[in-house]
Amino acid sequence: MLQSIFRGLSGNRRHRVVACLVAGVLLLPLTAASSATVSEKKEPGRQIADMVTKQRYFWDTVDHSKLKELQQVFTSGEQITDACLSCHTDADQQLKKTFHWTWTDPNSPEKNRRGKAQYSVNNFCLSTNAMHDHHCSECHIGWAGKGKAAAIDCLRCHGQKKFNFEEAFEDYEAFSTSGDEDDREMANEAQSEIQEAAQAVGRPTRRNCGSCHFSGGGGDGVKHGDLDSSMTTPHKSLDVHMGMDGQNFECVRCHTTIRHNVAGRFYATPAASQRESLIENDLSQKIMCESCHSAQPHKVGSKMNDHTDTVSCQTCHIPSVARVLPVQMWWDWSKAGKMKDGKPYEVKGPYDRLTYASTKGDTRWGKNVPPEYYWYSGSLSGPTLKDSIDPTQTIRLAWPVGSRKDKNARIFPFHVHRGQQPYDIERNKLLAPLLSGENGFWTTFDWKDAISRGQKFLDLPFSGKYGFVRTEYVFPSTHMVAPKDQALACAECHTRPKSRLANLTGFYMPGRDRIKVLDLAGWVLLFGSLCGVMLHGLGRFISNGKGRKG
Amino acid sequence: MRKLIILAITVFFAFSSAGICFAGAKANARKGKYTYRKVYKSCHKRGEVESATPLLSPDTKTMAQWDKVFDKVINNKDENKPATELVDDDFFEQFKCKEEWSKLTGKDMINVHAYLRAHAADSPSPAKCK
Repeated sequence: MLQSIFRGLSGNRRHRVVACLVAGVLLLPLTAASSATVSEKKEPGRQIADMVTKQRYFWDTVDHSKLKELQQVFTSGEQITDACLSCHTDADQQLKKTFHWTWTDPNSPEKNRRGKAQYSVNNFCLSTNAMHDHHCSECHIGWAGKGKAAAIDCLRCHGQKKFNFEEAFEDYEAFSTSGDEDDREMANEAQSEIQEAAQAVGRPTRRNCGSCHFSGGGGDGVKHGDLDSSMTTPHKSLDVHMGMDGQNFECVRCHTTIRHNVAGRFYATPAASQRESLIENDLSQKIMCESCHSAQPHKVGSKMNDHTDTVSCQTCHIPSVARVLPVQMWWDWSKAGKMKDGKPYEVKGPYDRLTYASTKGDTRWGKNVPPEYYWYSGSLSGPTLKDSIDPTQTIRLAWPVGSRKDKNARIFPFHVHRGQQPYDIERNKLLAPLLSGENGFWTTFDWKDAISRGQKFLDLPFSGKYGFVRTEYVFPSTHMVAPKDQALACAECHTRPKSRLANLTGFYMPGRDRIKVLDLAGWVLLFGSLCGVMLHGLGRFISNGKGRKG
Repeated sequence: MRKLIILAITVFFAFSSAGICFAGAKANARKGKYTYRKVYKSCHKRGEVESATPLLSPDTKTMAQWDKVFDKVINNKDENKPATELVDDDFFEQFKCKEEWSKLTGKDMINVHAYLRAHAADSPSPAKCK
């Protein structure tokens, strides 16, 4: 083909074409190299984040195994706490003021407090019955699930060794009181294991936080969608920040802590009161993406930077949740209590998860679940057990606060858990049955009795008549940040048939929405231009360059 | 004659029941747990296994499966009988650490069985070794 082209050219032209081709071939590697340099150059947001989280220095100056206070014989958890407090004198006073201890949102109205220990209600295990349900209290950071009556279990968050202290204390007591030589040896063994575990302390790890937060709702991955046991040892593809083959962040790297107060959202209280980066304020908390990545994280001139005032980073960078383990999508308490041959039973379904249990009712699970998107200012709202509800509607137990008109609100992704749960037919209020224990529903399968007992713990009335109402509960998706090549493409939202943001109305979004007049004007302009070009070309063709000769 | 037969049967049942109760009382799951862990701690020190954590957790088998593995142990009446006489080669293929198991007696083995069975997969409190 090249030969035929060359044949058609005169000598001088042939030389010029050859010279151009040679120059092109020679310049090709240079062009490729320069484009590689451009692609290797990190976005400003990543450069800043790399600077503020540059190195992870280990600066521990205490070897706890050398402390005499931790070498004594321990027969109870409280003794270990006393040993901790003999050096960390103010730790318990600090901690007892925090949400992790009180399970109460201090910013909620005094007569209708929100929080697990208060009148909040969800559509998982419903309520802790003011912390009287011992099954729920297992996650409280007091010793042995005794709630606020017990001493703080420092090792729940700081223990670096997975260890069952309660079992070990029981073993030690059983062996140490025996006169048998073998038993004494075993008592020593049990005590040395207790001491070893008490001495293994450090900053909280993913395992420490995850022991409660990954199993919220009563099992692995039941609640959040973006938090489950796959985050204990995550791969970078699951979370770019926490991935062990990447930045390997522990939870406390972003959930910065001051006087045991861990940064993060709870109920109506947002995680941060304002959007600011560490560049603006070096003492700012690292709880938001912007803290490290700034408000203009993408390359200069990138259209994506224009989105950050209305679209949260999570919206594009968390394309789906439950990417390794499934998350619960639906819990229908109205189906609980069925028996087979007079006995409670369970049915397993997809993902090897229960789809029915007599104790819990129907449940449904999902994997790789795309989030739902809503305007969100950082605060969630919903009725408590004291608030009246309209049972003809789906009750939004936890729902994002914010709208397009709210300057603090941005579009944010959420995992939404739906289900049916009991409410008082006469009082039109949600109910809090007692679930665990010998008198709980899981043992008696008697709704009326379980509700009466649960309401009593909360000092709330019960008419004796109950029904079931549909409810929804959202969880902001902020973990499981995917690698940038898996971030949402523009067309996921800016498209007409199946936009991810199809439910968000009241504003014009290019690609998704249409204004007929504007569309018509566009087409007229396009065809007009095309016709103009064609007419111009036709004119030139007809005149056959005569004008130039003149 | 009939009275004699009834008496003999009664005596037989009384003794067997007592035997079962006695055998049950002897098994100490708590001791079994420490004995089981001790086997692997020593074995790990010696270098045969990579970790001091026992190879098989109680919840890796059902109660019936543990009974099958410890079949001879359950039916053994001699507390001092060496453990090697109560298990076969298949046992050591699964559990390894023959040297440490050899130091155990019939009494130790019944305790280990009680521990594994008490926390089997289909037990009320399934457990993993830590």
